[in-house]
Amino acid sequence: MTFEPGDRVRVLPSAKPGHVRTPGYLKGKSGWIEYMIGEFPNPEELAYGHSGLPERPLYKVGFLQPDLWDDYEGHAEDYLYADVYEHWLEPGEGGTK
Amino acid sequence: MSDHHPHEETTMSPYAARIRAIEGLLLEKGVLTEPEVQDSIAYMEARSPANGARLVARAWVDEDFEELLLSDAKAAASQLGMEPEHPAEFVVVKNTPGVHNLIVCTLCSCYPRAVLGRPPDWYKSFAYRSRAVREPRAVMREFGFEPPEDVEVVVHDSTADVRYMVLPMRPSGTEDLGEEELASLVTRDSLVGVNVPRL
Amino acid sequence: MASVHDMGGSPGGHIDRGQHEVEDWERLADAINAALGGRGLQTTDEHRRAIESLEDYRDLSYYERWVAATEKLLIEKEILTADEIDERAAEIERRWGGP
Repeated sequence: MTFEPGDRVRVLPSAKPGHVRTPGYLKGKSGWIEYMIGEFPNPEELAYGHSGLPERPLYKVGFLQPDLWDDYEGHAEDYLYADVYEHWLEPGEGGTK
Repeated sequence: MSDHHPHEETTMSPYAARIRAIEGLLLEKGVLTEPEVQDSIAYMEARSPANGARLVARAWVDEDFEELLLSDAKAAASQLGMEPEHPAEFVVVKNTPGVHNLIVCTLCSCYPRAVLGRPPDWYKSFAYRSRAVREPRAVMREFGFEPPEDVEVVVHDSTADVRYMVLPMRPSGTEDLGEEELASLVTRDSLVGVNVPRL
Repeated sequence: MASVHDMGGSPGGHIDRGQHEVEDWERLADAINAALGGRGLQTTDEHRRAIESLEDYRDLSYYERWVAATEKLLIEKEILTADEIDERAAEIERRWGGP
């Protein structure tokens, strides 16, 4: 696994077509690795009948809400987690909880 | 594509006939068997939020079980005779005096169905899926819940292979209640996080 | 441009908290989907991809999307044909609708 808990990461702003499980609202955003969830076959390939192998690392990634939304109305310390595949992440400089 | 057959007299969806057609054809061709289909129907009917309530109530009265629920929710569910999801992960996140959790699946409607059964309609709605990540506090307000001032709200978007459930905090004033009574306080909404259990 | 299903953060209105009675055909949609998965004939990921590709995604209800996607996959995998589904569905509707 490339990333460790606490590492700052950025979600790739890729406009990759087809079935992806990285939501648009996270693309280009920076956060931190909470932990690695495990390794799973790649859903982007399973979606088209392929094996999805080799399995890819999946991380629980945290983001401060004000970093995601300019108009965030809640607390500055509120945060959000999403489960993101390693191939969608690069080292970054996000905030942390 | 087939012609649309509108039903002015009924509100039956045209997809009702389509899935019946699909069922009939698949059975005739031996792709599926009748018992398989019936078992599948029974499987989902057997699952409900009551399972989640049992997990929570047990965690409230048994510290070791709570630890198991938070570290290996599938093992905890199995211990109580439930059959959790597979191969997806099942993870329980704990509400604390400082943190309130909210679950959503913005991309579709992932939900721990193997434990809790079908998600409520509102969970699957475009409004919830769109707004829960961006304005969780406003969403919870619509459900009649506002966390105390010093509580952070943490949203979990189930984007991949994990299904989430919230372990709410045990309400005060419930010290004398037994496990079954405690379970009856745990609403489905509190397992998603749009509300909390109350006495 | 994000696909229509990728709606996190999009504007959304009031959340309707009503719950409709699950109909038998919807139970069947769930069951067929699970049974096909159990047989290894489709994966959750294929089913999601098929749902996401529906042109009328926004106009269909949750289970309507499920059925449309299941149908799409069965045709794609040449397990059933569009014609035989159309024919059978029309027969069923005739039986239900009456003269």
